[in-house]
Amino acid sequence: MRETKTSSAVSRLIKPVKGSLIFACVVQFFAAIAGVVPFLAVIEIGKALIADGNSARAVIIAWVAAGALALRLILILTASVITHKADADFQLILRRQIAQAMTRVPLHWFSSNSAGDLKKTMQDDVKALHVIVGHVYTAIVSAVVTPICALAYLIYLNPWLVPAAILPAAIGMAFFATQMGDAKAQMDEYNKAMSRINASALAYVQGISVIKVFGGSDQASDRFVKTGHAFIDEFWNWVKDKLKASALAEMIMAPMTSVLTAAGFGLALFTLGWINAIEVLALCVLTPAFTHPFLVLNFMQHFIMQGKDAAERLVGLLETPKLEVSEITREPESTRVEFAGVCATYDGQRDVLSDIELVLEPKTVTALVGPSGSGKTTLSRLLPRFFDPRAGQVTLGGVPLSEIAPDILYSHVSFVFQDVRLLRATIRDNVAMAAPDATQEDIERVAKAAHIHDRILSLQQGYDTMLGEGTSLSGGETQRITIARAMLSDTPIVVLDEAMAFADAENSAALRKAMADWTGARTVLMIAHDLSSVINADQICVMKSGRIVERGQHEALVSQGGLYAELWGAMVQRNVA
Amino acid sequence: MITRVVSVAGEPFRPQLLKLVAGLAAEGFFMGLGFVALVPFLRAVLAQDAGGAVLPLLGLAAIFMAYAVVRWNTQLYGYITGMALARALFDRLGGKIKTLPLGWFNDRRTGELSVLASEGIVEVMSTAAHLMRPMVVAITAPAVVLIFIAIVDWRLAVALAIVIPFSVAAFIWSGRLMHSSDDSIHGTAADAATRIYEFAQAQPVLRAFGRNEGAAKVLDNALVESHSATVFKLKNAVRGFLLYTMTIQAAITVLLVYGVNRGLGGEVDVPELVALFVLGIRFAEPLLGAADVQDVLRSSDATMGRMHDIMETPPMPVTGQATPTDKSVRFESVDFDYGAGPVLQGFSLDIPENQLIAIVGPSGAGKSTVLRLIARFFDVAGGRVQLGGADVREVETETLMRHLAVVFQDVYLFDGTIGENILIGKPGATKDELWSAVQAAQLEATLARFPEGLDTPVGEGGAALSGGEKQRVSIARALLKDADIVLLDEATAALDALDEARMRASIEKLSQDRTVIAITHRLSTIQAADKIAFLEDGRVAEEGGHAELLALGGRYADFCNLMKTSGGPK
Repeated sequence: MRETKTSSAVSRLIKPVKGSLIFACVVQFFAAIAGVVPFLAVIEIGKALIADGNSARAVIIAWVAAGALALRLILILTASVITHKADADFQLILRRQIAQAMTRVPLHWFSSNSAGDLKKTMQDDVKALHVIVGHVYTAIVSAVVTPICALAYLIYLNPWLVPAAILPAAIGMAFFATQMGDAKAQMDEYNKAMSRINASALAYVQGISVIKVFGGSDQASDRFVKTGHAFIDEFWNWVKDKLKASALAEMIMAPMTSVLTAAGFGLALFTLGWINAIEVLALCVLTPAFTHPFLVLNFMQHFIMQGKDAAERLVGLLETPKLEVSEITREPESTRVEFAGVCATYDGQRDVLSDIELVLEPKTVTALVGPSGSGKTTLSRLLPRFFDPRAGQVTLGGVPLSEIAPDILYSHVSFVFQDVRLLRATIRDNVAMAAPDATQEDIERVAKAAHIHDRILSLQQGYDTMLGEGTSLSGGETQRITIARAMLSDTPIVVLDEAMAFADAENSAALRKAMADWTGARTVLMIAHDLSSVINADQICVMKSGRIVERGQHEALVSQGGLYAELWGAMVQRNVA
Repeated sequence: MITRVVSVAGEPFRPQLLKLVAGLAAEGFFMGLGFVALVPFLRAVLAQDAGGAVLPLLGLAAIFMAYAVVRWNTQLYGYITGMALARALFDRLGGKIKTLPLGWFNDRRTGELSVLASEGIVEVMSTAAHLMRPMVVAITAPAVVLIFIAIVDWRLAVALAIVIPFSVAAFIWSGRLMHSSDDSIHGTAADAATRIYEFAQAQPVLRAFGRNEGAAKVLDNALVESHSATVFKLKNAVRGFLLYTMTIQAAITVLLVYGVNRGLGGEVDVPELVALFVLGIRFAEPLLGAADVQDVLRSSDATMGRMHDIMETPPMPVTGQATPTDKSVRFESVDFDYGAGPVLQGFSLDIPENQLIAIVGPSGAGKSTVLRLIARFFDVAGGRVQLGGADVREVETETLMRHLAVVFQDVYLFDGTIGENILIGKPGATKDELWSAVQAAQLEATLARFPEGLDTPVGEGGAALSGGEKQRVSIARALLKDADIVLLDEATAALDALDEARMRASIEKLSQDRTVIAITHRLSTIQAADKIAFLEDGRVAEEGGHAELLALGGRYADFCNLMKTSGGPK
């Protein structure tokens, strides 16, 4: 059951390059045949020279062998160019598919752990499949074709040769079979142990600054070394029993063993008169051809297993459930936003938002305040549809968000969030993301408004500076670029989450004024820790434990003497110089 | 190869590795000898002399026994050596990592090092266990065969030997080609992965601006670029491999064609010639086997190269035996840069003990750098940083760190419980000490949110906690450590007003008997400071108390006015 599932994962992924791979295998098929020719030629030369005394034929055979070798070289060249080209194409296709999948999964997916694994999956799993696409298939073809050709030739010479020739391979195989029974379970165990040392190395290296500052470097290093040693002990436990058996099996499969059995059986059969001298020669030449494929396949088996696991993970990644958009989409009729009876949960058990009723009237400012963990962020993430509510619905212009096509939704809603990311692209591209056709004047206008223009000009390449390649901006600067970006977009609704958190005081005031001008004509949903930024809001919602517990305007809420008044009190108190 | 392994695993491994190689060489020797024994055997059989073939067969059997014994032992010995190597590498890397300068660590290096310290070690282990055999055998077995052929018929041996320099050259050349393409393919693959990762991370923004298509195009260009780099490099790699295979095949061709022609001239005994052909074909086999493992061997060599580089990274030298005598911090005309323009220039600042100092200034002024220099993440280019009267370069790292507690801007939590993460600050802390740190860091309400309280797992990288909660855990950790000097880098940026107000009280209390240096733009914290240092362009532009600086009417006063006039959006 599992087997069919995993093999289909591989075949599903490699489907786009299947044609090339089949072609490469066909070429490899002929290359393998050409590779057998020199071995047969040695036998045939012996036959021509010794048994038939036909020296002219011997010369021809020698040249045929030389020709076959040259042909083999060309065919192998062709096959490996095809597979490697196919592999490069495959990687491109796979990466494109993953990128495509990324554009469909719920945005909340990116804040969970799965996004952290993405890079590893991308690098290691794509590489594991590289071995399969680039090497395994053609190696299997060779491993199968070579013994078949040898077998056919032996049968043609004298069927009596067959049992003697395949004996070492048969014994070795039987031996391997008894060993490989629990290979899958072993592999799982091994992978688990491996991920333990990975995790321990990662914790040690990533946490190094904390470890050093808090003086735990000896313990941390001991812990890492101990995990490493435990891994080796475990590893030794698995291999120590198997080791001797597999050493024995490999010995049985070694060319030396084949040569010895061939010589021994050959001489015995020759003495009995069952086979002739040339056939003894054939036996000595061809017996190793039967064990070699198993050694190759054994070597490959590890990679095949890795490839299967990798393919499963990649298929899992590609199949991450996407955010549903209904078949029939509608255009919102206005920019009025309504949260009706909204409940939301992350784990499916505990609601982080309960019974939210909230209306954002066009061109008003709504502020969400409250202690951390109260659900402000969750609520704000529902509007740009990071994920969907468990119950209730969010509507824009009377249309549920799930019935609005994403591009329409995001032409209505933009946001500036605290955890900002810039793309590794030029500053210009980063700012102009919302409007690729924007002119330089437009871009400079918003950059000036966001107080980042001068900083950009101070960089050597100005707006053409590539970010992330030697140039890094501070948190505050990054945030100002995202603000400029949002300003350039022209959406009627804006969600702001601590948009000013990193803005240093000096820029803060001017920036706030620019933001105020920008948001003035828009519907704003904002989260702010700094209450001084919300006093002018049309509606302040105080949140606690996933509910809106107070709402109203600043003055009213302060005089109400509830949670908001308490928060405001703390705020005022600290601003007393 | 041995030198490479010894360079990462240590000199004591040299004899063990030499022994392993000697064993493998013996194995190859017996293998070659076994093939050689085929010649008299086949010569006798082909001459229809069954009796004459018995002795060579017995010889072959005896050689086989010797081969089997040697191979058995080298195989076990290879495993044992591999595991001993892995143990040594865990020890050495584990010990080395903690001595690396903190400034050495960046995102890329952190990722690379963690892979090296886990998968890399396993890779080296399997090199000794599996990969050395085919390499060594590929040299000794054909050598024995060649010597034998030379004894029987030197002309054939010369014909074979002619290709050796070419195939060695081809092997090395193909190794180099592949090596360079490995590096750049590794590079482009990593780059593609990073780009997709960034693309994924940027999804919220991309979707919000409906620009997934545009960004996807940028991403796609990068992917296509990496695709063509891969194809180009693979062409190189294929070339090298082919050249090597070609030389080996040429040897067989020469042997067959030249041999047959000599046989025709009656210059050599025909049965012997045919037997030599068999030997010639066997000669090629281990050589082609070497090409198979070359790939894997090279990657393991590269891994060891990277390990070597890390082992060779010098730790920050401690040039003296100084101990801080009080809790003061002093910068004396410090110059510092990250390699791209000066960050601090002639930076001087005096921080008396038991004071709360606020470091304020525009972004890019070098605020975080100041804190990092106190904790000696980096060494200064000029001037000096003193802690309790001692130059930080003359203080043992352990001693230095004992005096410091730091709350970093980017909080790192270990995959464990909240309690474990706080206890890192003081592993032997009592329950009371732990709880008072929890209370001071305003963590009680957070803990109440989780039924398991302090035993709640924080998840990988602290995923289960919000930004503000993570920040408070790291503050609790620093408070518990009870160090003389506390460095806070935007420690309260992610906290809401109420928590921040309470936290400020904790910080002020802290500074009664400690030195607290805080980077902040919270006006309340700034005003509570004993001294404010306003940084601009890598130096202290103004310093003094809040009122004093306001009266001065300079940069700080402007800054405060801006703060006060700032209102909400509207």
